[in-house]
Amino acid sequence: MEVDSPEQLQRKQSTYLSFDENFEIQKEVYRGQQYSQIYFARLHCMRALLYSLVPNWKSHLPVCTVLGLEEGKECIIVGTLYKHMKLKPCILDEYSKERSVAPLVKPHNFIHQDDYLVLEDESGRVKLGGTVLSPSVYVTGVVIALHGKETSAGAFFVEDVLEAGLPPQIERQLKSREDKYVVFVSGLSIGSSSSNPLLFQLLVDHITGHLGDEEEQGLAAEIVHLVIAGNSVEISRGLLNGQNLASKDQSRLSEPFKELDIQLTQIAASLPLDIMPGSSDPANFSLPQQPLNRCLFPGSATYNTFRSCTNPHCFELDNIRFLGTSGQNIDDLTKYSEAKDKLDFLESTLRWRHLAPTTPNTLGCYPFTDRDPFLIDSCPDVYFVGNQEKYETRLVKGSEGQSVRLICIPRFCETGVAVVVNMRNLECHALTFGMQFSS
Amino acid sequence: MATPPKNIEGFYKQKKSNTSKSKSSNSTKHAAATSGSNIAQPPALVSHGGSLDLEDDFDEEQQVLRQFDMNMEFGPCIGIPRIDRWERARRLGLNPPKEIESILKRGKVKRQSLFGGRT
Repeated sequence: MEVDSPEQLQRKQSTYLSFDENFEIQKEVYRGQQYSQIYFARLHCMRALLYSLVPNWKSHLPVCTVLGLEEGKECIIVGTLYKHMKLKPCILDEYSKERSVAPLVKPHNFIHQDDYLVLEDESGRVKLGGTVLSPSVYVTGVVIALHGKETSAGAFFVEDVLEAGLPPQIERQLKSREDKYVVFVSGLSIGSSSSNPLLFQLLVDHITGHLGDEEEQGLAAEIVHLVIAGNSVEISRGLLNGQNLASKDQSRLSEPFKELDIQLTQIAASLPLDIMPGSSDPANFSLPQQPLNRCLFPGSATYNTFRSCTNPHCFELDNIRFLGTSGQNIDDLTKYSEAKDKLDFLESTLRWRHLAPTTPNTLGCYPFTDRDPFLIDSCPDVYFVGNQEKYETRLVKGSEGQSVRLICIPRFCETGVAVVVNMRNLECHALTFGMQFSS
Repeated sequence: MATPPKNIEGFYKQKKSNTSKSKSSNSTKHAAATSGSNIAQPPALVSHGGSLDLEDDFDEEQQVLRQFDMNMEFGPCIGIPRIDRWERARRLGLNPPKEIESILKRGKVKRQSLFGGRT
């Protein structure tokens, strides 16, 4: 066997900038405020934006508030959508005297053909009619502009819709770049019965260059960053029933973290990594989820390449902007609206310029008073969502030359698939790990 | 949500011409409420602190602040201290009147909006 060649492969590097301060809540103080404050902040910012877009859309029509609607007068109104859903679970259903035939166990999707949309601003709300606006496509919390007129029944007949559209994007110089890859993985679910530790070890070995010949190691050396998009551990439900744990159960509780930390230490020793919390991780429930505590990672947190990040997570590598979540926002859209595929949901959130429009209605979020941190001001180059069923990707073009790579990252414990993005051209491919034992 | 009536003053009781401002201590107020006839009295206005809420809040400053609270342009007033709401309005570019800031900074007025703690 050949002795290792004297020249060592150097891993490529990128400059990293984090934009997570927007999602941090350490400075927030809870003074008993309600969610009306965050809705006001959202409406104000989006309305100002839509007002600036209306002249290019239909400049001849007057813009008015909901209270200022006059019957038969064609105009444009801007407000927050509210979708009345017949099947949406309501806490009062549990207390109603006559139990309906429909079971209290929730279906996967709450859409019903009788759902209707209402537009609301501070002055009032109006029911929306007409066939242009399909309730199944929209969710509560989206701010849009509508062209139409008030009918005699008091509803607003919609003739046309204006969404905010993709936010402005900063031009990136992509042509003179070299191949540099970013790996995305999510849903490791260490500690669950379905996760195979060998698959994750294979991933770690591949990224750190411990697998394969020189050529493959050369490819691994071009990986500059790893992002773990949520659900890295899964704690068995039996341990979380609120009872005091026996000492042997306590060690069972911490085992997934120890295992994860061992793997992350191997990774952090080799390249920068970002770990985001997900719905099954020990972080706060409501969005924005705060970074996982460093004490969970005694080994890997000592490395400066280890970064515990918020969910949603926004960062720049070599001036390429990445934005994404661990999946709760898209999963909630799946429950309350419909689209052809997950990428359509992803694209919708970009067109509505809001990461999670269903917050705080059906998805928990912190009651911010002065801002809505989920508004997307600057179009990312790569927009990802973790913990989805399968790997999907699409390149979306905006009306002003924006170009975004949308990525659905599948759950690694179920699929063994990680996603690799080339920063030179934003092309994307899957990295699949599997174990086949010949009989 | 119900649209607010055009005449905001209809919400508040009109100023009585011979009402005296109650600056007396708590004990005096209690005595005033319970002494007198046995006829059923309407329940006294008691706020959280247990003290009777008999102040009339009708001077100029309070009126200005109340108008600021009720102004829908600056968003909901419940659950957020007045100064924070003013700050938010300023940051969002809504140009709230500067005199509100000076009244609030002077410190002798209620921190919460007129609904503060009473909804």
